Amino acid sequence: MIYYIGAFGLVFIGLYIILTKRNLIKVIIGLNILDTGVNLFLISVGYVREGTAPIFSRGSGQVLMVDPVPQALVLTSIVIGVAVLALALSLAIMLHKHYGTLNLQKVKEQKW
Amino acid sequence: MVSPVLLIAVPLGLAFAVPLLRLISRRIPKYIPPVAMLFNLVLSVSLMSSTLKEATVVSIGGWDPPFCINLVVDSLSILFSVLIALVGFLVSIYALDYIEMGATENTEKYHMLYLLLLVGATGVVLTGDIFNLFVFFEILCISSYALVAYLGDKAGVESGIKYLIQGAIGSSLILIAIGILYGMFGSLNIADIASNINSIGSIALFIPLALLVTGFGIEGALFPLNGWLPDAHSSAPSSVSAILSGIAIGVGIYAVARVIFTLFGVSSIFPFLAILGVLTLLVGEASAFKQNNLKRMLAYSSIGQIGLIVFGLGIATYHGISGGLFQVVSHALGKSLLFMAAGYMIYRTGSMDISALKGIGERMPLTSIAFTIGAFSLVGLPPFVGFASKFLIIQSALLKQDVLFFVLAVLVLLATVIEVAYFLRVCQIIHFKEGNNQKKEDAPLVALIPMFILVSLIIIIGIYPNLVFDFLNSAASGLLDKLAYIEGVL
Amino acid sequence: MRRIIAIVLLTIVVLGIALSLTEVPFGTPKTHVGDYYVKEGVKETGAVNIVTSVVLNYRGFDTLGEVTVLFIATIGLGALLTTHKERKKKRDVMPASLILSTGCRFLFPLLLIFGIYIIIHGHLSPGGGFQGGAIIASAFLLTYLGCQGVRISERRSKLTESLGGLVFVIVGVLGLIFGGYFLLNFLPKGTPFSLLSAGIIPIIYVAIGFKVGSELVSVIDNLMEGST
Repeated sequence: MIYYIGAFGLVFIGLYIILTKRNLIKVIIGLNILDTGVNLFLISVGYVREGTAPIFSRGSGQVLMVDPVPQALVLTSIVIGVAVLALALSLAIMLHKHYGTLNLQKVKEQKW
Repeated sequence: MVSPVLLIAVPLGLAFAVPLLRLISRRIPKYIPPVAMLFNLVLSVSLMSSTLKEATVVSIGGWDPPFCINLVVDSLSILFSVLIALVGFLVSIYALDYIEMGATENTEKYHMLYLLLLVGATGVVLTGDIFNLFVFFEILCISSYALVAYLGDKAGVESGIKYLIQGAIGSSLILIAIGILYGMFGSLNIADIASNINSIGSIALFIPLALLVTGFGIEGALFPLNGWLPDAHSSAPSSVSAILSGIAIGVGIYAVARVIFTLFGVSSIFPFLAILGVLTLLVGEASAFKQNNLKRMLAYSSIGQIGLIVFGLGIATYHGISGGLFQVVSHALGKSLLFMAAGYMIYRTGSMDISALKGIGERMPLTSIAFTIGAFSLVGLPPFVGFASKFLIIQSALLKQDVLFFVLAVLVLLATVIEVAYFLRVCQIIHFKEGNNQKKEDAPLVALIPMFILVSLIIIIGIYPNLVFDFLNSAASGLLDKLAYIEGVL
Repeated sequence: MRRIIAIVLLTIVVLGIALSLTEVPFGTPKTHVGDYYVKEGVKETGAVNIVTSVVLNYRGFDTLGEVTVLFIATIGLGALLTTHKERKKKRDVMPASLILSTGCRFLFPLLLIFGIYIIIHGHLSPGGGFQGGAIIASAFLLTYLGCQGVRISERRSKLTESLGGLVFVIVGVLGLIFGGYFLLNFLPKGTPFSLLSAGIIPIIYVAIGFKVGSELVSVIDNLMEGST
């Protein structure tokens, strides 16, 4: 149970940062926290009480194991998160080159 | 029978091989996207006839569903796949010259990103597994983030970062919903989840549905999630705008439709969908009316058209959904034509303002004719394809014999009037205003050929819509008939 | 004002999610798919690490997509940051201290060996291509920090990336040709617990390891050169 609370606490914090902070780097960090929270949630969905890691060792026979599928999902999700983060950081570098500031309030050249 | 997996595997392999092929000759990379898309087009068209009877289910890795990832190729998927391959092919030919202009260095990265965007789009429409849908959807989104900011100019980077942040929030929401669905049902296969959907109460199901629709709707430009679209589509290079407006939002709407109709299948949401569609339509068209920037106007018009498509889907009858899907086709053909023509017009005049287009009708006659035909088709004038699709949607709304849908249909007609107003204003400036009278200097042949292929398709399908009707009806019934989907897979 | 709206909105969303989570009890086995993988995994794929067999065999298509996403990020980074790369003169960096440079030279081969070990043993113990690739990339990051002037040639990392991805797709297509299914495990499964088992899984993981390593290295390279 504590895992769900922790995961959604991270999601909440991440979304709050993205919605309210003005510095672009802080927003990107918020994005990262959001991703981490979602990954934590996915893994905790697969947890089985008293289960061990889903890897057989010699001579162990059938033991109760946790669900391997969410772990595979999270593997993919972490990599996707890294890719988005890399692109976001490169856009932040270029934004700084053009505007000289990372304040999102000042970066509003496109009008309605 | 060639396996539909090749629709994804071959372009993906070619995209990976581009840096290697570039070692052989510097000029090879720009021909690879047309070749890959031509292959996809031929393969998709050849698969069309077999999917009319029943869906093809291909399992990856040889296991049985639901223990594997499977591709479910029904007529809806093939419709989108043909559309993606066709528009992708034509825009890539257009980009053979368009991207080289003003490029200071090698452009093979653009072609790789472009091809991978199309691979992502094809993967989204072909897959039958919700997490696989998410992965291919991410491929689509991330390559479009990179392509929007490709030129590296001020506007592009700003639009790119805003698009990225909103898109990334959407992806996280989708992932949360997938986690909840996996926890509830224990499987990631769409057919498997759909067959068990009624075992959980509908209150608990509301949140995953809302999260999924919000997440996919950010890419599909539903109101109020479309804040990124005007900036992104207007700051991107024109070939990218063509592909984003024509294909990417259509694929986003496909994902929303697949989730609502096949995965969840709750019918109480349909009137809400129709209202949302008309709201999007009105907001899009009203905002487009006020624009002075040509590409921004076209971007808002895309938002409006998506609203119309969603309205068609929300009618939820056989004819309504056929109308919505037909509108996807006509929007893809028309909007990519408009962006392609606008690209060269903007390049020749050097400005994106509509008022700068004075007299372009004389300087670039063929391009202006193409633009005008695209505009007429989108507005819904006969004998173009836009007329047939809009007519079908409005007719099915009226056939529903419901006060709500009658009111919505009237609002759609009102929005069409606004659309006519701003498109005709642009066409008037192009053709009837006096310009600076410079010499005739039309777009290069490489750009004109795809534009006129689109023009001829718009006219042909507009005059003989029966050519596609069988297919659209089959696709619509595929969407409505959840049980057939489940039985086909499991 | 904006903060209050944000907090209210987020609380509603999180409460809604909590409501639907009552259907997802914590800590109970929920799935028939997961059980099937655990029970049949070793027999059907030959890999002892069930997560690896899920990642590469049962859901190998997702891994292909994931590899593509990383590829896109690298190309995107290269496209965006290259347009603003001025020809770099020798960078004015602080020379690394003696401890750092000695430590780097000492640790670099150890990290490489560790990374390769993790890649190759992906099907026998926790690890695999992605994890090992990240370790190899951090080895190269260490050389950027510790020994100046050392740059990985961009051409070589691009070639490694393409080759890695191409190997993955080709193995999948070979499965299609030999067995009729894309990504079919067509090589002999061998005996469990031995290094050469599990069919195509080690091959794909090695390819992925090279790919991820070279991609992360080129990302780091681009970010370091792209900054002013």
